[in-house]
Amino acid sequence: MILAQNVTKYFGRFQALKDVSFEIKKGEIVGFLGRNGAGKTTLMRILTSYLPASSGKVVIGGDDVEKNSLAIRKKIGYLPETPPLYSNMTVNDYLKFAAEIKDVPARERRNRINEVLEECNIGEVRDKIIGVLSRGYKQRVGIAQAIINKPELLILDEPTSGLDPIQNLQIRKLIKNLEYERTVILSTHILSEIEQIAHRVLIIRSGRIIVDKSLDMLLKDYSDDQCAESTLEEVFVKLHSETSEENNE
Amino acid sequence: MNKVFAIAKKELTAYFKSPIAYIVLILTISVFNVFFYMIIDQNREASLRDVFKVMEFMFVFLIPLLTMKIFSEEKLTGTIEFLMTSPITNTAIVLGKYLGSLIFFTLIIIMTVTYYFIIEYFGQPDRMSILTGFLGIWLEGSFFLAIGILTSSWTRNQIIAAISSYAILFLLYFSISFTNSLSGPMEAVVRYAGTWSHLGNFTVGLITVADVVYYLSGIIFCLILTRFGIENRLWR
Repeated sequence: MILAQNVTKYFGRFQALKDVSFEIKKGEIVGFLGRNGAGKTTLMRILTSYLPASSGKVVIGGDDVEKNSLAIRKKIGYLPETPPLYSNMTVNDYLKFAAEIKDVPARERRNRINEVLEECNIGEVRDKIIGVLSRGYKQRVGIAQAIINKPELLILDEPTSGLDPIQNLQIRKLIKNLEYERTVILSTHILSEIEQIAHRVLIIRSGRIIVDKSLDMLLKDYSDDQCAESTLEEVFVKLHSETSEENNE
Repeated sequence: MNKVFAIAKKELTAYFKSPIAYIVLILTISVFNVFFYMIIDQNREASLRDVFKVMEFMFVFLIPLLTMKIFSEEKLTGTIEFLMTSPITNTAIVLGKYLGSLIFFTLIIIMTVTYYFIIEYFGQPDRMSILTGFLGIWLEGSFFLAIGILTSSWTRNQIIAAISSYAILFLLYFSISFTNSLSGPMEAVVRYAGTWSHLGNFTVGLITVADVVYYLSGIIFCLILTRFGIENRLWR
């Protein structure tokens, strides 16, 4: 589904991504982990064709992101870090607009909007102005926008930030439900969440992928030398202290 | 093409959901009305020539207020990321936004058509020159809108966008005053680049190819620059 080869990104002289390569298969749920500023958002923006890579190649479902960005965008649902909402529109109008520009056929729009309102559990605010909604509602409107055209690939940048535990659970369930139909990439700081939904994790540190393993393997690898089952959080902290020592040498 | 209309519709509703549309509409029409009365009272002739000149002068100040947020607000709130990762071309985004502001501006022009009926009622105006005058002022406003959209695409700050378009519009509008100190081809160039002489022809009933080309090429030039300005690909 996704093939990234030697993706590098410079912002001026700052190198945000260094030689990133990975492959993601159809139907996988992959978690991008990393500290703030590690390059998760930049990588997601390159995958969605919002930003061009300085060098390297990304192919999604057979289309090159660089050359065929319009075809790519049809396949992708994307929730940026801050939900991209027009604060003076109502939820309903906003979703209608999203459906219009995302090629949802005119006949299906009304049904599709009702479906995503239900899936994201935001039916009760459909006629409210987005600007007055709480963070949790805004986040879910953002997710609704991302799935409105039934994308094959869903890219979610911190989808659960600002949600309460119950809503968190709902979103995880929603992502789980999508599992067999589509590929999902998500980033988050909440490691316990990744443990519950992702099949595979990519840990990014200072623009480099330092771990690319299935979750079970990763946890097993690290529990062996400690003789106890470790959590993802312990692994994450360990990896980051290891690599910073390397860098100091 | 449907997506262009979807964006234009979104832009138009955005105007009417914020107070700025009503303020601009009421303010513009009130000021125009006052000037219309003063000009007719002073000139005592059934012509809108001077009214168009005043409208042009007012649009130099008003249009940047209409266009300043078109792209800068999307950049500030991050919604530009939503637009640019949707299956819609950048050209369609620019055209949709331009169309939305153009429809709003056309509304203002339509409201001033009453002046024609007033002078038609009280005198015998030259209908042809009034028709071409309206066409001229509409073309000029459309050109100003394209400039405003261009400067709005440069920044995420609405104030900077407005001030940049004021700078460009003042340069175009007041360039006629520099022609006194110039001569030869330089004078001709500055005279052609300024808006003053072009609208002048329209208000006396003259439609020349040079004037129409001036406005249309200005609009297309600004929209193309905007189209490339919002492309992230340029600074890879």
